[in-house]
Amino acid sequence: MILPLEIHNLVKRYKNSSVDAVKGVSFEVKGAEIFGLLGPNGAGKTTIISAITTLEKPTDGTVKVFGVDVTKDSMFTKKQIGVVHQEVINSGFFDVEEILEFQSGYYGLRKNKERIHFLLSKLALYEHRNKRVKQLSGGMKRRLMIAKALVHNPKLLLLDEPTAGVDIRLREDLWNFVRELRSEGTSVLLTTHYLEEAEQLCDRVGIINLGSVVCVGATKEIVRQYTLRKVRIVFAEQVPVQSPYLMEVIGKDYFFVIPQEKPLGEFINELGVPTQLVRDIQIEEGDLEEAFLKIVSQKDGQVPL
Amino acid sequence: MIGFLTIFRREIARFLKVIVQTVITPFVSSFLYLLIFGVSLGQQMDSHQGVSYLAFLIPGLMMMGLINNAFQNSSSSIVSSKFSGDLEDLRVAPVTDQEIIWAMSLGSVVRGTLVALITYLVGSLFMYYQQGEWLHIAHPVSALFFLIVAGLIFGMIGISVAFWATTFDQLSAFSAFILLPLTYLGGVFLSIEHLHPFWQMVSKLNPLLYLINGLRYGVLGVSDVNVGTAAVISLVGFAFFFGLARISLRKGSFQRW
Repeated sequence: MILPLEIHNLVKRYKNSSVDAVKGVSFEVKGAEIFGLLGPNGAGKTTIISAITTLEKPTDGTVKVFGVDVTKDSMFTKKQIGVVHQEVINSGFFDVEEILEFQSGYYGLRKNKERIHFLLSKLALYEHRNKRVKQLSGGMKRRLMIAKALVHNPKLLLLDEPTAGVDIRLREDLWNFVRELRSEGTSVLLTTHYLEEAEQLCDRVGIINLGSVVCVGATKEIVRQYTLRKVRIVFAEQVPVQSPYLMEVIGKDYFFVIPQEKPLGEFINELGVPTQLVRDIQIEEGDLEEAFLKIVSQKDGQVPL
Repeated sequence: MIGFLTIFRREIARFLKVIVQTVITPFVSSFLYLLIFGVSLGQQMDSHQGVSYLAFLIPGLMMMGLINNAFQNSSSSIVSSKFSGDLEDLRVAPVTDQEIIWAMSLGSVVRGTLVALITYLVGSLFMYYQQGEWLHIAHPVSALFFLIVAGLIFGMIGISVAFWATTFDQLSAFSAFILLPLTYLGGVFLSIEHLHPFWQMVSKLNPLLYLINGLRYGVLGVSDVNVGTAAVISLVGFAFFFGLARISLRKGSFQRW
């Protein structure tokens, strides 16, 4: 099966550097999925995106887009990709609509008015189409960058920190739009610092640290495997509890941390306390942030999943 | 091909957006050069190869304007795109290096030729005012050849320097310390026949001398150098700088400053 993106053993070492910025990274993005590439600053995320878009040449390894090596037939692979760069553009010469017309031309589309107007409307930029970039707000600039990336209807969309510095409402709108693109069959590779967003949005994630991918898998599976469930039980009176999961007792409040895979009913039965003494149970599930912190703090390389 | 046409159209649209800088400024400077050197000082200068000093000056100024503007057009386009981040769009889009080089260089030819044409029209008006006759182009095909080749060469030099430069200062330094002296010493204002034989020999090592005199032959029918030699040197220069521009795109960085 041909995958939208396959990265195999990618290595990138910059000139005048003795350290590899990316050290043998491998992962893939499947059809119509949102894949999140997560990692601390300087982990190598943008370098990987630069290798996919041919802004940077790999030192070693292969990057294939729809089965084609980006270094062998970049004209083909570039047509399949739309890119939203991390930093906003600041082009001073042209207005919004002109920028999108030129962008269409770069992709070989002479008459693309219909698509441009669709994107302008979809991204709430239609009324600003005759403004120059410097007249746009930060959020509008971000949306313009997304419109630019989509003028040629790419099958693979690369979003490099697209919501950095964007307000919550706009972020929500953008993610809804990304979900819509996925439902239309577009695959998305996303890098973001907002882990709660990645958890909501991404079907799978890859966690990268110091240039190496340390974990790849389904988002829910990673959360399940690398986090613990926090349970607070309020009893009617103080009771004797013997449990390896008990962390703290404050009055009648008992705090436990249990593995995700342990069924809640089984755990309560094991406590051996009559259920009529239970007044309240509160459960706090683990999240991607907790899993992320746990994974990047591990020092021994690849974490199998 | 659509990619090439788009970049070319963008280059034209870009310089037309800043028309004061790209067209009006050269008009004013050529007007002043012709007024001071051509009209005021020119009356004290002997005619050269049967043409007045004013007429001699016009093709030199045309080529000087073309060279400066062709270089500025491509180099400032790339440097401002590096600054704004637009240049990354070109690298990630399916356009070839050749399309980028040809589109930007031809953009330089259009802007340079426009400035040369303005200089010609202003000079022709001065000629009519001073001598009662318009300046007729002696060899239009030769004139067009040298305008196009010089525009392409300096468009490509602009591309190469802009990819090499890492700051605006480096771009200005190239213009001030290399381009300007070579232009001024390339026979814009004086025929090299007036120089000492040693300096004549030195001048002949300046490639701009051949472009300036090539255009002078095209416009006036007179030249300090053999036109065939000028044409061959121009074409060799074109091939060299085309190669250099290709290397610059392949090795240079498209990433923003």
